[in-house]
Amino acid sequence: MMSAFSVPYANFSLKTREVRDRLMQAFASVLDDCRYIQGPEVQAFEKEFAQYCGSPFATGVANGTCSLHLTLRAIGVGPGDEVITAPNSFIASASTIALVGAKPVFADVREDLNIDPDAIEAAITSRTKALVPVHLAGRMAQMPRILAIAKKHNLFVLEDAAQSVGAKLDGKRAGSWGDAASFSLHPLKNLHAYGDAGILTTHRRELLDKLSLAKNHGLKSRDHCEFWGFNCRLDEMQAALLRVHLRELDRWTEERRALAHRYHQLLKPFVSIPAEGTGEYHVYQTYVVLADRRDDLQAFLRKEGIEALVHYPTPIHQQPAAQGLGYRAGDFPKTMELSRKILSLPLYPGLTHGQQDQVADAFARFYRS
Amino acid sequence: MRVPYNYLPMQFARPEAIFRDWRRLIRTSEFTLGPFVEAFEKKFARFIGARYVVSTNNGTDALIMSLKAVGVRPGDEVISVTNTFYATIGAIVAAGAKPVLLDCDERYQIDLNLIERAITRKTRCILPVHWPGCSPDMHALMKIARRHGLPVVEDACMAVGGSVRGRHPGTFGKVNAFSMHPLKPLNVMGDGGMVATDDERAYRWMLRYRNHGMVDRNHNDIWGVNYRLQPLQAIVASHVLDTVPEIIRIRTRNARLLDEGLKEMRPWVVTPPRPAGFQETYGLYMVLAKKRDALLRHLQRHGVEAKVHYPVPLHLQKAARVYGYRRGDCPKAEQQAQQLVSLPMHQFVSIRQIRYILKTIRNFYKN
Repeated sequence: MMSAFSVPYANFSLKTREVRDRLMQAFASVLDDCRYIQGPEVQAFEKEFAQYCGSPFATGVANGTCSLHLTLRAIGVGPGDEVITAPNSFIASASTIALVGAKPVFADVREDLNIDPDAIEAAITSRTKALVPVHLAGRMAQMPRILAIAKKHNLFVLEDAAQSVGAKLDGKRAGSWGDAASFSLHPLKNLHAYGDAGILTTHRRELLDKLSLAKNHGLKSRDHCEFWGFNCRLDEMQAALLRVHLRELDRWTEERRALAHRYHQLLKPFVSIPAEGTGEYHVYQTYVVLADRRDDLQAFLRKEGIEALVHYPTPIHQQPAAQGLGYRAGDFPKTMELSRKILSLPLYPGLTHGQQDQVADAFARFYRS
Repeated sequence: MRVPYNYLPMQFARPEAIFRDWRRLIRTSEFTLGPFVEAFEKKFARFIGARYVVSTNNGTDALIMSLKAVGVRPGDEVISVTNTFYATIGAIVAAGAKPVLLDCDERYQIDLNLIERAITRKTRCILPVHWPGCSPDMHALMKIARRHGLPVVEDACMAVGGSVRGRHPGTFGKVNAFSMHPLKPLNVMGDGGMVATDDERAYRWMLRYRNHGMVDRNHNDIWGVNYRLQPLQAIVASHVLDTVPEIIRIRTRNARLLDEGLKEMRPWVVTPPRPAGFQETYGLYMVLAKKRDALLRHLQRHGVEAKVHYPVPLHLQKAARVYGYRRGDCPKAEQQAQQLVSLPMHQFVSIRQIRYILKTIRNFYKN
């Protein structure tokens, strides 16, 4: 991709080039096989992905949004119910709750950008049905405490692992903790398809069976419709490509981590860096620093040819769509404070040390001026 | 001789032109909506003669979004038909409404005489289906809808390339849904769909709703979904769309040959009436046959891959139990379900193969 930036925010072609021949082979094998809907590639990918996450079952879906939506529906969340999630996530974490007719209830986050277990506990009411902790940016939420809270209040836990494929806490991967976990395989994710894709993991057999029907019109067989469902199938072609990528994922993640650790050293003097806490294995899907004078810094970097982005400048409770929920700006002080400081820097396999030095040099000039 | 149902290996035997565009796509890295998707939407809008087209991830998403776009809400009723694919009714339920399922006529189309009686205060919309590539009398249906001030959403999932007195299916209703599933007249290599409308407000709303309700990258003013069409598939769709007139031409020739050949097998085999003014797409070539199950086995044993779409009408499916339908509620569809058979008929079926199909059926009834 030609970019106006000398350090663009993302660059797919670097990774794609490495595996290009195998991708074209994967395309060709689907073309030869001609089973374009829920064929052997989807099945194989589901099995390999479950194994990768350390979860017994996985089922492929069309994207990360429909995986959250299908799961909430499958466990019976609906009008009158409340579901607790983080306000600093991508919109889909909350919109899927609203779309099944329930109320998204937000709990504030901690300095590490992830949901605060104390805030979860404070937000629980008699109407709470489920928790949707988000593993934001590549780092897992405090799952041991969240699971303990869920157990105490008998709540379903759906991990929103859209940004954290491969992340670990105490050696256990995202997607193996909650009752179910939802992954997005969107092009900007560490494990990505060439278009939209998603997958769900669960250790509950009966939930897997229900989701497998729900994503394919509720069809128990070709001629029998068990319940009215949707079409949220993972594309066979994308599954074939994803299998090629999954084999490289650990290597690409290690490359990201090495680059992230290098950023830590270079940028520590100027901003707060996303260092790992005890037991954490951060996969740096997004490398987010906390910066003073963030907007000025972002504009300065842009002038220097460095593309830095903000994920996300407007917290979900501040979006026009959330108006009916009755939240006010000051309701989640940490989220609001972070929304003024967060800045995502370019980080991907293939980013060079020279480019990182260019970023560090720009930071130095900005903060020393 | 074999007459396979699936023609995809032949259709995509030379994918080089598609591969060339895929390489261009991979170079631009526009994997989420982007120029290839927009170009296809414009091309399809021109093809059917609609002002606006919004592509979707599949036909089901297209139906759900169409119903929401015309204002279907929980508690509403939507009038549709019982002999269709599950997704038509699944979409109504997904929009929170109650499906009111009507019987069909001898052309497999919603029985227009039953619509007015089914309208209640809760009726929010009429959802006719162009099943299975044939069309209801849309001009008459629109008159009924206008008389009652009800919007129409067409399920035109099987109908790309068809026409109703010169107008393309999916251009009559307010917001209309299409599918590009592999076995549709316009197909991709996986799932894909579109919504067509002339209504600018519905169009603007759908553009946002399809993509998380986003006005721009950082703002969303409605709760939306992800119903985006894959750019890889938009490229396939754009190539296949160029061939649709030819696909329909050959299918029409094949259908005429089958119709003609089956005439002498009345009353054992009955083809539907095909009035002038309706160009069918033959998404499926369906006839009614006596001793259907035995015929089906006979055809399959002789290499003719015939199928049944579908043996159980939707009002009698387990998923519909909550609505309290009973056997006998849709007599025509129930009777057809016992007799329907879909013969393998597509653009790669040769005249020789058609003669073979006819001979195989003739031999069956001779004994």
